Amino acid sequence: MSRLKLNNSTFHIFFALLIGLGLGLAYSWFLSPVTYVDANPSILRPDFKDQYRIVIATSYQFTQDLARARARLNLLGDVDPIGALSAQAQRMLASGEPFEKVRPLAQLATDLQLGYVSNPITPTALPTSFNTPEVESTVEETEASPNVTEEAQATSVPTVFFEQTPLIPSFSETITPRPASTSTPAPGAPFALVGQEKVCDPSAPALMQFMFMDSRRREIPGVEIIVTWNQGEDKFFTGFKPELGNGYADFVMQADTIYNIRIVTGGSFVSNIFAPACTEPNGFSYLGGVMLTFQQP
Amino acid sequence: MSSSNIIKIIIALIIGIVLGLIYGWAIDPIEYVDVTPNILREDYRVDYVLMTAEAYQNDFDSDAAARRLAILGSESPATLTAAALQYATSNNFTETEIQSLQILLTAMQTYQPQGNNP
Repeated sequence: MSRLKLNNSTFHIFFALLIGLGLGLAYSWFLSPVTYVDANPSILRPDFKDQYRIVIATSYQFTQDLARARARLNLLGDVDPIGALSAQAQRMLASGEPFEKVRPLAQLATDLQLGYVSNPITPTALPTSFNTPEVESTVEETEASPNVTEEAQATSVPTVFFEQTPLIPSFSETITPRPASTSTPAPGAPFALVGQEKVCDPSAPALMQFMFMDSRRREIPGVEIIVTWNQGEDKFFTGFKPELGNGYADFVMQADTIYNIRIVTGGSFVSNIFAPACTEPNGFSYLGGVMLTFQQP
Repeated sequence: MSSSNIIKIIIALIIGIVLGLIYGWAIDPIEYVDVTPNILREDYRVDYVLMTAEAYQNDFDSDAAARRLAILGSESPATLTAAALQYATSNNFTETEIQSLQILLTAMQTYQPQGNNP
């Protein structure tokens, strides 16, 4: 009898423990979950991450500080930051965003891959309407400590202390330094078609492939290309497949279609491009591609 | 049921609740994965404002700058920039960065959303 009582009592205690555990979990998970107040950018919602990347890239256009841009991108926790930039650029283009808005992303992706600032710019003079503001009138500078949490002070990312990225990387061996005076390609110089090769690959679609280079044979991203044919038109840019080259772009051709190509940058024009026929040794025929190489004089 | 048993049950219940709270708050708290920028840690928020300021110096587009700042919360762009500027001056940001923030602050103080223009 006492054994039965003991078991009954133990059961009640155990049951109460379980109920308490359930109540505690319900309260901590649903009624009053942990509230994040010091989140980091890696857990941002994807659309906010996109916005973050745009701001990083646009900021980079001004600062030309590649190390800092890379550090900022790393905050987003992307496995492949360059791929994330390129993918976002392609999504934006596909959704009809103007290229001017996409260009900073493409430029940053290119420079991250190159490892140096490929298109250094001269800082623009500030508009005369913006005088140095009088901060004292708008910002309270009191004796009190700033509104900064201890954690923020202890672990803040010292963005101040990033070293400026050299415009040209400092190679220590084997690579000849580039003359600074000719490091920037002339953006508006016309491109000339310097190579047109038939590409036969039965496993690949009939691609019209482009490669754009400057006079020093450096690949150029952001070149706008318009391809027209009798039933339509397509517009695209180089540099959105950095894994294939910063000056690379491609376009899938159809059979029995003649294409005309206009290079918006520089105003070049190439006509009568079509998918050539390729034949395997066993007699199998298929549509091949063409590789068009453009270079600035 | 004796009173001692009732006390034991209550104690067990309290212990269960405490264990549940410890587990739910400390050991395995809810993980947030798609948060909004308004809960970013302050240094990240300031860096975001600084990026916006640097981007502003690239295009001088007040509307774009205000939209970029808007994701940080419901405060006005000028308030957000002023807070970032205060943080920057207190944390030894470079002169260039402080100047960028000052320029953005001036722009945001005079900024009128396009929809409010006559």
